[in-house]
Amino acid sequence: MKILEIKDLRKAYPGFLLDGVGFDVEEGSIMGFIGRNGAGKTTTIKSVLNLVHADGGTVLFEGQDLWANETVCKKRIGLVLGEFNYYKRKKLKAIAAVTKQFYEEWDEETYQTLLSRFSLDPEKKINELSQGMRVKFALALALSHRAKLLILDEPTSGLDPVSRDELLDIFRDIIEDGEHSILFSTHIISDLEKCADYITYIKGGRIVVSTDADSFKDAYRLVSGETEDLGQFRPLLIGYRAHAFGFTGLMRREDAEHAEGLKVAPADMESIMIYTEKEDGHESAAQ
Amino acid sequence: MKALLSKEFKLCVHPALFIYLALILMLLIPNYPYLVSCFFVCNGIFFCFQQARENGDAMYTAMLPVSKAQTVKARVWFVVIIEMIDIVLMAGMCAFALVAMPETNGGGTDHSLSLIAFALVLYAIFNLIFLPSFYKTGYKAGSAFLKSAVGIWLWLIPCEGLMIASHAIADSNLDIAFFRFLHENVDCMPKTAEALTVQAILFGAGLLLYVVCTLLATKISVKRYEKVSVA
Repeated sequence: MKILEIKDLRKAYPGFLLDGVGFDVEEGSIMGFIGRNGAGKTTTIKSVLNLVHADGGTVLFEGQDLWANETVCKKRIGLVLGEFNYYKRKKLKAIAAVTKQFYEEWDEETYQTLLSRFSLDPEKKINELSQGMRVKFALALALSHRAKLLILDEPTSGLDPVSRDELLDIFRDIIEDGEHSILFSTHIISDLEKCADYITYIKGGRIVVSTDADSFKDAYRLVSGETEDLGQFRPLLIGYRAHAFGFTGLMRREDAEHAEGLKVAPADMESIMIYTEKEDGHESAAQ
Repeated sequence: MKALLSKEFKLCVHPALFIYLALILMLLIPNYPYLVSCFFVCNGIFFCFQQARENGDAMYTAMLPVSKAQTVKARVWFVVIIEMIDIVLMAGMCAFALVAMPETNGGGTDHSLSLIAFALVLYAIFNLIFLPSFYKTGYKAGSAFLKSAVGIWLWLIPCEGLMIASHAIADSNLDIAFFRFLHENVDCMPKTAEALTVQAILFGAGLLLYVVCTLLATKISVKRYEKVSVA
């Protein structure tokens, strides 16, 4: 069952266009939303949540129009838009006391457990927390009102590797019951390699692909070859990096299967994104 | 709405607001334009808007399960409550002055229902200019306050000026019917039945204008804020 359906989302800014963005988030899954800085990830998320007034499109949450039923739907959505950077001179307990008034489903026990798990002192002020601790506080708030869907925009940015891994464990725990889902935007692709079930890739305001993580990776191959082979295979390469001994690049699986003389290896998500972003320029600046 | 209002009072109140509200004590100053105290309260409200903006309140609130319309309406209620606190304090001061300050006010409107009516009109002007102007962007509180200040002083100066003139003319040998009427019925403590009637009408008109302008300001603000991107 689809918990979130985004259809033909459009928003025009001077110099940027969110052009008919559409993808679904399945119940009980983690959707990784990837794209480079400025690709439209945050604009998409903000448009979905009506923080940005979209020019057009439809957003359905559990089958109902999210924009028309904003208050009801938002109660069932947990939001983390980066680190918690609001009311920095207030204590954590003061912010939590205000925030929980908005949620009938607020679970104080979960909140207290998360504070302990994240080593957050409720007596501390926001401006006394590190960047990573502010992200953890935002997560503690978002996870404490029994949200069905968590929308996380760059939640792991600024966290150390141990905290990031800890967080990914929490994400996996959340979706384990099959009823909760996560839409997780990031440019730290290695995090998604560890936990995402589905991937949506946005580039220049358009969705390149939205599919399950395995199909996403399986659709591409990393290839490498000698410099003299480059001319022959250049039209098939999505993007490549030339170096002193030859080149390394990305091909579609079906093209790679017929690329005789090239070394072919499975592609990881990060390579797919990097070489796809090189598509327009084709060749990297490293040569 | 209750949760949003609670948020406004717990997070958005700037400490200076209490000082500005305390300036209602200016009504104890003999011969002073008492309407000025309302301008200070508007200043305090502006400080609260600035405090909220500097603390990223727009984004924090946008993440809560509330609509933009509810966000605006809660903030308007916040403003209305502060203004009504000032009006109640003003009424208390006027009642106190009836007993303790029998001298008439040569510096502006006397302690009277007229003063409260003029204060309501001042707040009506402030709400009608400041709120829609602020919600056009959701962050330009300074320019919104500047515009509203122009409106406030364009009301305050002629209003208090007229009362000062009526007082001065009454003290002179001149007998101009209009100014005599003002002095005997508007710019005075409502001690006669006629003065009480006139001032009650002024108060009713002021209250009506306040309600109409605030409702209109809310409607325009909601419409404008719907188009604002919270970033």
